[in-house]
Amino acid sequence: MKEGRTHKRFQKFGMVIDLDKCTGCGSCMVACMAENNVPFRKDESNKLLSITWMRVYKLTNGMPFPETDVCYLPRPCMQCAGQHEGHSPCVSVCPAIATDYSMESGIVSQIYTRCFGCRYCMASCPYHARYFNWWDPIWPDGMEKYLSPNVSPRMRGVVEKCSFCFHRYQRAKDRAYMEGRRELQEDEYQTACTQACPAGAITFGDLNNPKHAVSEMVEPDPKHSGRPKNPNAFRLLERLGTNPKVYYLSSREWVRRAGDNYLKNEKKVKKPVHHG
Amino acid sequence: MKIGRRGFLSFVIGGAAGTALSPLPWKLMDDSSIWTQMWPWTPVPEDGEASYVNSVCTLCPGHCGITVRKIDNRAVKIEGMKGHPVNNGGICLLGLSGLQLLYGPMRVKTPLKRTGKRGQGQWEKISWNDAVSEVVEKLRDIRSEGHPQTVGFISGFDRGTVSRLFERFLTAYGSPNFMRMPSVRDSYELAQYLMQGVQALPGFDFENSDFVLSFGSGLIDGWGSPVRMSRVHSAWQSAGVKVIQIEPRLSNTAAKSDKWIPINPGTEGALAMGLAHVIVKESLYDADFIENNVEGFFDWKNLVIDKYSPDTVASITGIDSRTIVVLARGFANASKPLAVCGRGNGTTPVNIDECMAVHALNALVGNIHKKGGVWAVSEPDYINWPEIEMDAKAAAGMQHERLDGAGSKTYPFTRYLLPRLPETIDPGEKNPLQALFVSGANPLYTHPDTQAVRNAFDKIPLVVSFSSYMDETAQNADLILPNHIYLERYEEVPTPAGMIEPVIGLSRPVVEPQFNTRHVGDVILQMAKGLGGSVAKTFPWDSYDSCLKETLGDLWNYLIDKGFWSNTGAMPPFFGTSYETASGKFELINKDNGSIPQFKPVSIEGDEKDYPLLLIPYDSMRLACGFIGDPPFVMKTVEDSILKGKDVFVELNPKTARNQGLREGQRVVLTTPKGKAEVKVHLFEGIMPGLVALPRGLGHTGWDEYLAGKGINFNTLIGPVEDPDSGLDAAWGIRAKLEKA
Amino acid sequence: MDSALIPRGVKRCPLWQFLLFIGAAGIVLLWGVYAMFLCWFKGLNQTNMNDYYGFALWIWADLAVIAVGGGAFFTGLLRYIFGKDALKNIINYAVLIGFICYSSALLILAIDIGQPLRGWFIFWHANVHSMLTEVAFCLSCYFGVLTIEYIPLILENRQIDKVPFFHHLGHNMHEVMAVFAATGAFLSFFHQGSLGGVAGVLFGRPFAFREGIFIWPWTFFLFTWSAAACGPCFTILVTKITEKVVGKKLVKDNAIELLAKISGWMLLTYTIAKFIDTWYWVTVLAPSQGFTLMDFYSNNPLYGIWILITEIAICGLVPAAILITPKGRKNPVALWIAISLAVVGVCLNRWVMVLQIMAVPVMTFDNWVMYLPSWQEVATTILPGAYGVILIAISYRYLPVFPNEAELNPMEPLPAEEAEEKSVEPSVDLEPELTPAEA
Ligand SMILES: Nc1nc2c(c(=O)[nH]1)N[C@H]1C(S)=C(S)[C@@H](COP(=O)(O)OP(=O)(O)OC[C@H]3O[C@@H](n4cnc5c(=O)[nH]c(N)nc54)[C@H](O)[C@@H]3O)O[C@H]1N2
Ligand SMILES: Nc1nc2c(c(=O)[nH]1)N[C@H]1C(S)=C(S)[C@@H](COP(=O)(O)OP(=O)(O)OC[C@H]3O[C@@H](n4cnc5c(=O)[nH]c(N)nc54)[C@H](O)[C@@H]3O)O[C@H]1N2
Ligand code: SF4
Ligand code: SF4
Ligand code: SF4
Ligand code: SF4
Ligand code: SF4
Ligand SMILES: [Mo]
Repeated sequence: MKEGRTHKRFQKFGMVIDLDKCTGCGSCMVACMAENNVPFRKDESNKLLSITWMRVYKLTNGMPFPETDVCYLPRPCMQCAGQHEGHSPCVSVCPAIATDYSMESGIVSQIYTRCFGCRYCMASCPYHARYFNWWDPIWPDGMEKYLSPNVSPRMRGVVEKCSFCFHRYQRAKDRAYMEGRRELQEDEYQTACTQACPAGAITFGDLNNPKHAVSEMVEPDPKHSGRPKNPNAFRLLERLGTNPKVYYLSSREWVRRAGDNYLKNEKKVKKPVHHG
Repeated sequence: MKIGRRGFLSFVIGGAAGTALSPLPWKLMDDSSIWTQMWPWTPVPEDGEASYVNSVCTLCPGHCGITVRKIDNRAVKIEGMKGHPVNNGGICLLGLSGLQLLYGPMRVKTPLKRTGKRGQGQWEKISWNDAVSEVVEKLRDIRSEGHPQTVGFISGFDRGTVSRLFERFLTAYGSPNFMRMPSVRDSYELAQYLMQGVQALPGFDFENSDFVLSFGSGLIDGWGSPVRMSRVHSAWQSAGVKVIQIEPRLSNTAAKSDKWIPINPGTEGALAMGLAHVIVKESLYDADFIENNVEGFFDWKNLVIDKYSPDTVASITGIDSRTIVVLARGFANASKPLAVCGRGNGTTPVNIDECMAVHALNALVGNIHKKGGVWAVSEPDYINWPEIEMDAKAAAGMQHERLDGAGSKTYPFTRYLLPRLPETIDPGEKNPLQALFVSGANPLYTHPDTQAVRNAFDKIPLVVSFSSYMDETAQNADLILPNHIYLERYEEVPTPAGMIEPVIGLSRPVVEPQFNTRHVGDVILQMAKGLGGSVAKTFPWDSYDSCLKETLGDLWNYLIDKGFWSNTGAMPPFFGTSYETASGKFELINKDNGSIPQFKPVSIEGDEKDYPLLLIPYDSMRLACGFIGDPPFVMKTVEDSILKGKDVFVELNPKTARNQGLREGQRVVLTTPKGKAEVKVHLFEGIMPGLVALPRGLGHTGWDEYLAGKGINFNTLIGPVEDPDSGLDAAWGIRAKLEKA
Repeated sequence: MDSALIPRGVKRCPLWQFLLFIGAAGIVLLWGVYAMFLCWFKGLNQTNMNDYYGFALWIWADLAVIAVGGGAFFTGLLRYIFGKDALKNIINYAVLIGFICYSSALLILAIDIGQPLRGWFIFWHANVHSMLTEVAFCLSCYFGVLTIEYIPLILENRQIDKVPFFHHLGHNMHEVMAVFAATGAFLSFFHQGSLGGVAGVLFGRPFAFREGIFIWPWTFFLFTWSAAACGPCFTILVTKITEKVVGKKLVKDNAIELLAKISGWMLLTYTIAKFIDTWYWVTVLAPSQGFTLMDFYSNNPLYGIWILITEIAICGLVPAAILITPKGRKNPVALWIAISLAVVGVCLNRWVMVLQIMAVPVMTFDNWVMYLPSWQEVATTILPGAYGVILIAISYRYLPVFPNEAELNPMEPLPAEEAEEKSVEPSVDLEPELTPAEA
């Protein structure tokens, strides 16, 4: 559906992760694995081969003892919109339209049965949010019992990534339609990681709806592709023009600075580059 | 017909063109790609009717409410229960992985009897009746020989009906040797007993405190009820509560606090005394509270003034005196300050002096039994069972002292001293422990000096494990009588660790038992019946479930309906326990036994010459280090700076590494007086120079291929250090050295 | 034994020697085929690629062979469109090398993708915005063109040519070859470019990203340009190597020199363009994204700044200087050095544009990632090499690849053989025996 063809207000689901609250506990990672039938292997210590739709990075400020500081940064797929809605780094490159940008929800989908495993999308994603199934997924005998029917397990040879728990969106919408409603309440569609986070560090909602908590928290500026007005808020690699829908909050300057690359002695973020 | 060259070539080319233009190749191409989309070896989960079951997670003492999503009779997802007073929808990564424990390869699927040598992993399947009969036979023999006290029981838990059934069974049988796994709760219970005269659970009203001073407690690293602590931490962030973390390593708790103050390990008690010095000297204490509720203040004040000046304390702790003064003022001037002690996730006790010193700080600022303070929490008392039938053998057996020395003349007030057990299991003629039952605990993994514990176990003629999983203790047992796991059984779950608000949850069967397992409560009842006589009479119930139903009375229906019971509205003293000391006050100096908050260094094993470094453990939410080992999902979250392949990394300050001539990633041999292990070096600026830190929770030999054989079990490198005043294990580390491998 | 198949007027080594040679290359080929089947049946876990290095060794090889295979389109363009007649003596070989390069590239892609049986989705579910789609279409079409260009050569085999149908077919195909050459040049221009576009559009990867015009980043044009510049060098290089191996001169110097001269100018202009591109990237584009030059090159020896200097100066300016000066390209040693450097340079460029992109961290808390190919990757990467050697050997032996060969290497006819042949099979030829490669 192209925008403009209808007057319906589109939703743009996004996430705000409060890094002051995040304790690095890893619940979001596991919530995602459990929700989305993510496979696992006997040795997962090679992080270059370990499928983690949600990955929690450990950042350090690089200062010597005892000035050292640590911050955790959970990284789902950023659901990048690109400089013009839909021009996500990954979507624009996929030759087979196996990953697509939904104008209706702002979610970047991944169609496992369409994907033929060229991995171009992985090369395009600066956040390393995409994972390839190098192996057939294998569950120990009996453990397939816990697999959820809402998310199909992926076969070897295709790429997968965080979907903002799209099946939950569908489930919520189905329920709303059954009840004769067209609009979803804020709490009707929440992602598994948001729901699980013990610290309540993740907030999820519609960035196009000023009443939703996510909008209130970061105040996305529509004139600048959603750049946050809240001075404590930032997005990862803002300057690349990927236009992510995942925002971070931190009261610590070094953490906010770690979100992007700056030249030495560069104080303020310059105008981000724009890309066709 | 003769086919010429021309004819042949035309045929081949024409054939190829014809085939290409026919639907055949296109159809094949299409079919083969469809086949790849439905490979039979990639499972397709069956759909069905969705339903939700509310229950409680007991994978740790956090006791979160959970909601399990089911599709027909399969459990497909565990989620935190919305509105639950502990976790309100949140859930930790271990709780989220519960279904891997339910359906996983680490389950013990049927009763097993050892056939080979202990620990060799040779088992035969045995029926439940045979297994229980065998145990009963053995127990009957021991009892008839007149040594019922030689039967012991190790439990991970000592509250609720199941633990009480264990204890009740032992008492009726004639043994005082019911032992709970150690933790910082032991120190707190004792401190509260000595200073307040109560036997109660320590509760911390973090939610309402505005200045939290933690002497090394990993408040968000798995301490207490982990999800509750996460929520508390977020509330602190929102409210701007000051949190000060004192410990030698930048743990997550330290990183998330307002201020991290590194301290020489093992000197936390000295700092507490130093802070007391400043508070007393500058009269910053709560004079009102001291006057009305505290006994022995003036004598203690003199001691504090005399011996713990900021300069003295600075030289002990390595924290400069200015910081000490500022910290003391900040603490005392806050309106609801709270001090807490205990290292890491609280799985080890601390020296009683340290605990009392920190507790004394709370008394100085008057936050005992106050909003935002520390509480002695009494449990909701719903277990009212008939008197235990004691025959002569039971009465005689119960006269014996406990094997671990708890309650003895030396350690009169300590309730459990499990780490002392190995040394009492004497290699002499008659072993004082003839049979040992283990439930909800894994001492062969979690106990310091694993080898010594294993040697001790080897001398016990009968070791019975109730474990649902093939953990290290089960691996080394003679019989495994596998319990249902928490998702397959009924059990009421009392107040979570560290909460001041009483909560009772109900664990219930989310799915049918998946294997030939049996509720441990039923096994106890069966064993009692088998023994007959007074023991049988002590257990008038047909089944554990009926026992539970009867015990809970009206509460049963309430729990079945609501999932948990809590007392949110009620405020102390409804469940707080007031002072029951001789003076009726908080006693800074206990006149009965002369105990007094002070600093006594715990001297750890090893001398500095041979072992120039100090090894300390650290805890992480991503490494379960207790009874439960990491399920595969949780292992996936372990960072590659902690575990790579089978190698665990020790953390080392770059300065230390330089002194030792070591670099990042280097393979080294870590040696302590207790053991030796190959590890790799990870440089981390967040650890004090001179220290080596090793994570706990790795180095399993049991469980499954996803966990076993990876890294090193910290407990193989450390031994217990007995606190002379309490008998508790007060070890906070051990001396160590690193050599290039 | 196989003399009946060997073109008239040229000498070939004994069959056993030939078979031994083919056998040796065949063993390497089989090793590669084995690795290829492992990748197909067990999956890409057979490689050492990972989620950071999603493109690796063989994708580099893929881009490299396409770049060096560019000799075919560019030589064709010069020969048929710009009417550089001297090149008719090398065009056959250029086409053959191109054919090998492009078939190899397609084979590599078939091994590379995680779901080979769904490879055709790229056509069926094509995303017209993706550079890779453009690559797939142009690559396949151009491979078709190369096949069409190669077929007449096959038809010139002495025995095949005897069939009148094939003889006429070959003749007629020659007639229209200019059309195909033009089509090929057009297609080639786009897919060479779109391969550059593959990297250049990655706006999430500041190392690769370039601005440009319309949908095409500057890398699009740079890739086409460099392929046009270095592809002919590769053609010359392979020709020279072939001459060394068979021990005779196969192509006249005027053809070589002409190609070398044009290559040289192309290379010079390309290098200047590349330099400007790099300058803009370093001073404007990357800084706007928070990067400085050394962020892309520091940290590890494999991707040190040497790589940029080597690519532009040593493998760009040096060979260009040699090739544009008559003295340089006429000096055999200098020519060898120049064409080798040019080929190394373009391969290095493709290496950087595939692998270094993956290695450079973009998020501030990410690390440089290194990768070492597994033997399966090495084997499948070498596989096209072995296949190329074999195809060249067979083509050389049985097809009149080099129209000047007989002229350059006159020999005594062996009457016995001729007689034997004639007696076995009476000729049905209607036309004169030997048709030159160019009709
Ligand atoms: N993901 C993850 N989760 C974990 C862990 C992990 O490593 N990773 N660690 C697990 C482990 S090993 C443990 S032991 C736990 C940590 O929790 P534990 O350390 O096992 O808890 P305890 O040692 O029982 O006691 C800690 C404190 O809680 C209080 N407390 C103890 N028992 C009670 C009680 O019955 N009632 C009340 N009101 N308070 C009590 C006391 O104040 C005591 O100081 O966390 C577990 N959870
Ligand atoms: N050196 C060292 N010592 C340790 C630890 C360590 O990690 N290292 N861990 C310490 C800690 S924190 C603890 S909690 C202890 C015990 O250590 P664990 O055995 O790890 O105990 P918990 O993790 O506290 O959880 C109690 C377990 O017992 C079961 N359980 C819960 N409630 C009940 C009950 O009422 N009845 C029965 N039968 N089972 C129950 C649940 O299945 C749960 O898995 O060991 C302590 N000692
Ligand atoms: S669950 Fe929440 S607190 Fe834990 S790592 Fe994820 S975002 Fe951080
Ligand atoms: S984070 Fe990566 S995968 Fe997700 S939308 Fe952006 S580019 Fe695509
Ligand atoms: S790997 Fe799959 S999703 Fe990614 S670009 Fe290729 S076909 Fe598209
Ligand atoms: S939004 Fe859903 S899919 Fe994405 S990381 Fe969170 S749980 Fe995983
Ligand atoms: S914190 Fe403890 S009780 Fe709560 S979910 Fe985690 S393991 Fe279960
Ligand atoms: Mo614990």
